[in-house]
Amino acid sequence: MAKSNDNDAMDLIQSLRSAYGSTPKNLKIIDLYMVFSVITALIQVIYMALVGSFPFNSFLSGVLSCVGTAVLAVCLRIQVNKENTEFKDLAPERAFADFILCNLVLHLVIMNFLG
Amino acid sequence: MAMAKVVRVSLSLISFLLMLLSPAASIGQSDGPRSGKILVVVDDFAIRSSHSIFFNSLLDRGFNLDFKLADDPSISLQSFGNYQYDGLVIFSPSAKQIGRSLTSSGVLEFVDSGRDLILAADLHASDFIREIATECGADFDEDRNAVVIDHTSYAVSDAEGDHTLIASEDILKSVVFFGEKEIEAPVLFRGIAHTLNPANNMAVKVLSASPSAYSANPNGLISKSPGLSGSTISLVSTVQARNNARMLVSGSLDLFSNRFFKSNVQKSGSSTSHKIAGNEQFVTEISKWVFHERGHLKAVNVTHHKIGEIEEPSMYRIKDDSVYSVEIYEWSGTSWEPYVADDVQLQFYMMSPYVLKTLSTDQKGVYSTTFKVPDVYGVFQFKVEYQRLGYTSLSLSEQIPVRPFKHNEYERFLTAAYPYYGAAFSSMTGFFLFTVVYLYNK
Repeated sequence: MAKSNDNDAMDLIQSLRSAYGSTPKNLKIIDLYMVFSVITALIQVIYMALVGSFPFNSFLSGVLSCVGTAVLAVCLRIQVNKENTEFKDLAPERAFADFILCNLVLHLVIMNFLG
Repeated sequence: MAMAKVVRVSLSLISFLLMLLSPAASIGQSDGPRSGKILVVVDDFAIRSSHSIFFNSLLDRGFNLDFKLADDPSISLQSFGNYQYDGLVIFSPSAKQIGRSLTSSGVLEFVDSGRDLILAADLHASDFIREIATECGADFDEDRNAVVIDHTSYAVSDAEGDHTLIASEDILKSVVFFGEKEIEAPVLFRGIAHTLNPANNMAVKVLSASPSAYSANPNGLISKSPGLSGSTISLVSTVQARNNARMLVSGSLDLFSNRFFKSNVQKSGSSTSHKIAGNEQFVTEISKWVFHERGHLKAVNVTHHKIGEIEEPSMYRIKDDSVYSVEIYEWSGTSWEPYVADDVQLQFYMMSPYVLKTLSTDQKGVYSTTFKVPDVYGVFQFKVEYQRLGYTSLSLSEQIPVRPFKHNEYERFLTAAYPYYGAAFSSMTGFFLFTVVYLYNK
């Protein structure tokens, strides 16, 4: 039974990899950007765990900037993905413009809260 | 007529002014911590002449002596609630009380008010004297007939040969008690022994007996071992109370007498014969200490402020730099001299000292130091607690609150937050690069 479980896991990963290879290029770019954001957020959390939360507002604004852009990138990906029927009528340019506007507001807030 | 009146008025004015300007007899002590008026209580006035060298030395130093017999009914220490004397010398070992109504409690109240006492006892000292001494910390031997006997440390000139005239060289070595000059000759003593409680850290043995001394009746046979012997015996002790009153308890009245002052002394077993006994120097120096002519400190001019400012702030902030300074003077008998020491310490205290620093002196009496206020908020005290043997105790305390940073007193960019600044900026540049790549990829 164990052996077949291992085999199943390996098969699952393989199929994920091959399926991912066929996603369109712009979605892959968005995914890459999200990974970069999340890694930055994780680094900050580890730093806070080591050093303590002394300028807590700076910590929050740093983490929020990363997490916020990641969330906005996810929204962009959902709206731009052609396989997603929910946003069929939404032009991808409109989605991208929303993304830029929200990011600008986010970074404005971050700069204020950074202290 | 008018002219005569004018002349009379002006004369009286002039005499009044002269009276104000002419100083009192005790000018030597009037600047100092005590007024210099001493009451001397004696059994009979012969003591005034038999101890005249001691009394004259006091008069020469500017003290005002008042001699009274112990049973003189006109003795009163107080007048309308104010003490008339600052020092009391009791040279009446057999007195049962002083004056009409002054018992031991009256004398002890006198000492409790911060005034000084010299008490000399002798063989057959009365209960009154013993009680005063006991309350001061010195317990005389209970045996009424016992005197101090020492068969190895007696004075060779002792006429009676019963070895009750002791020549003691065990004098406390202390500059504050006895001055710079050492007492070279032994001190002659004939009298009774007392003992001090070793747990009492305010009483000090100033003249001790040799290990072979003991306290017993010289005329009787000794049937059991004497209660007091050797190092438990104290011949002369001093006590400094917590209110800085000073007391001298001596088991011998003859120690102060002219005869002992002028006599030559040779200790048994030693070949050196001293022309003059050490009594005069001993008594003069220790009386200087008792009457606050040495070892009396006063601390004035306590100031504290931030570095760079002059005014005292009403509140400090954490991590401020603070400067504290105090001036300490010692009374030299005629004037206030700067006190020089290297062990005066300042505590910045809230329940326990957060900062403890030794004050540095400029040799002119000004002690100061700087330190950083600790990172704790609360109400602190600048405390100086200085207690040294022989010196009056100094206990200074100034209260000051300490507040945390105001929100605009932090540094503009905190070093601990650099990673967060970096992350925020990197996510901004990441966003910008992403838009470029996303728009222009093919």
